Amino acid sequence: MISRILGLGAGALGLILASAATAATPSFSLAWSEYPSWSVFGVAHNLKLIDGQAGKQGSIEKRWNVDIVLKEAEYDPCLTMYGAGQCDAVCITTLDALNPSLGRPSVVILPTSTSVGADALIVPKSVTQVNQLRGRKVFGLAKSVSEYCFIRNLELLGEKPEQYTFSNMDPGAAAVAMQQKQKEIDAIMVWNPFVLETLNRRKDAHVLFDSSKIPKEIIDAVVMSQASLAKPGARDFAHAVIDTFYAINRRLADASTRDDTLVAIGEKFSNLDLAGMKKVVQQTQFFGTPKEALELMNGGELKTLTQRVVDFCVKVEIVPKAPAIAFGPAAAGADVALRFDPSYIQAVAARP
Amino acid sequence: MTIRRPIQPSTSLVLGILSVLVLLGAYTGLAWRQERQNPDDTTIPRWGQLAKGFTSTVEVNRRSNDRWLVADSIASAKRLFSGLFFGVLGGLLIGLAMGCLTPVEACLSPPMSLLAKIPPTAALAVFFVLVGTGDGMYVAMIAIGILPALAVGVHLAVREFPDELLYKAYTLGASPLEIVWTVIFPQVLPKFIDAVRLSIGPAMVYLIAAEMVVGDVGFGYRIRLQSKLLNMSVVYPYLAVLAAFGFVMDYLLRQLQRRLCPWFEGGR
Repeated sequence: MISRILGLGAGALGLILASAATAATPSFSLAWSEYPSWSVFGVAHNLKLIDGQAGKQGSIEKRWNVDIVLKEAEYDPCLTMYGAGQCDAVCITTLDALNPSLGRPSVVILPTSTSVGADALIVPKSVTQVNQLRGRKVFGLAKSVSEYCFIRNLELLGEKPEQYTFSNMDPGAAAVAMQQKQKEIDAIMVWNPFVLETLNRRKDAHVLFDSSKIPKEIIDAVVMSQASLAKPGARDFAHAVIDTFYAINRRLADASTRDDTLVAIGEKFSNLDLAGMKKVVQQTQFFGTPKEALELMNGGELKTLTQRVVDFCVKVEIVPKAPAIAFGPAAAGADVALRFDPSYIQAVAARP
Repeated sequence: MTIRRPIQPSTSLVLGILSVLVLLGAYTGLAWRQERQNPDDTTIPRWGQLAKGFTSTVEVNRRSNDRWLVADSIASAKRLFSGLFFGVLGGLLIGLAMGCLTPVEACLSPPMSLLAKIPPTAALAVFFVLVGTGDGMYVAMIAIGILPALAVGVHLAVREFPDELLYKAYTLGASPLEIVWTVIFPQVLPKFIDAVRLSIGPAMVYLIAAEMVVGDVGFGYRIRLQSKLLNMSVVYPYLAVLAAFGFVMDYLLRQLQRRLCPWFEGGR
């Protein structure tokens, strides 16, 4: 018996030693879900630019000497995973990042895209004025960018949001019900691919308003935990993630690889064809170069827009209190929940 | 150690309580560890946070102007019990018919075995078309989800019914309907109750899954929304209520079985 226990102990020790040996390369994880500017990481894995498996490296990982571990999940579980500390970084909208940042101080290391029409209110063509929707239900995911986009558009049109009813429904389910012409569901606020798919299948429906009225308010991003960023090698992980994103964007910009890359990005995202995907990337505008991203991150507009998003989130109780937000590289001792830090992009852009 | 050696009822009770205590202790340990790693973490709330979360579910919410737990319980219970009612009744009738009438058996046996393997939540779009997106959808999903397995269970129980008893009843001059009602049904009843007990779990799973996707009230809706907001101090009390509900339902059905079929040797 004792010898067995000793044997087990020795085995465990061996395992620990072995894992310590492979841990020479710092390893960090990134949780992502299928969305145009995030599927980029899945595509990069398929192209062997990075290898999402633990302990394996692609060319970009070798360049920065890190191990990127990809964890793919649906969007909601990604948020839970990040909140529970089960991944170091996550693909998330800045609106949804506010809440986890209260429990886990976070840094926006890379804005990936912004919604310019990718979130839309779809109604039958008989509805041409938004006030026709008063007293009727508009279906979409509650307390999400959909509800935000809906209320912001109402405000821009001078309408009172209180006169409208936003009813919770999964966007995929809402799109299906709309396409089936369910009687009670004839106004939906959803995002892509559901917007384009619904419009394709219901020629009698149209977009009443969409996120193109509020550009750069809904920002898709890669957000990383501040605690993880403090670990050795973490900066290089951030650099490698950013490098990967721009590598795929260069393929999108290059006419010879553009269509192929678009199809690859769209493969699991939807069954839209190439033409549909071209539309998708128009409505989900990528911050495809460091220059575009830095313009956003260093511009004064971001501060006002982010404040507006924070105010909304406090109002509809997405966050219990407003998280402290800062812009620019971390100053010593600054205690903020969410920081927009352009220094990682700058470092990648500066490296030849 | 003898297999199935009987133990004192008191020992059994103590062991049961102990195992629950171990579970609670393990959670406390997990919460403590998570707190040490990150005091601001809300995904494994400590007991104090859980109490706060629970309070927030039972006091009147100032935005929605209702008590979450009350509103959700009413909505979900209505859907669950309607679904169970139709599913259980349908399963019993179809199972009895399959067990007693060979043409029905030949006709329904294959589709029932096939349907029993399909999770209704995966066929959401079909339910939209059939019953729309209102409360009827949840009811249909639960009913159709549990019906095939129940029907198959009743069918098998009827088939186990010994032929000798059947002949005896015929000899005594019973009509076919009398045989079904006074001879077969009482024999099948305890096994039917067992099957219903087993179908409560799946029924709850189907309901929660459907509510997570469609709806603005109910357990599934609240759990999905609050999980996304990382308010696990709200989510876990909801799970506890679900567990307690399942436990009580199970207990009641066992009592019912004991009361109605005291002769049933499986009447544990």
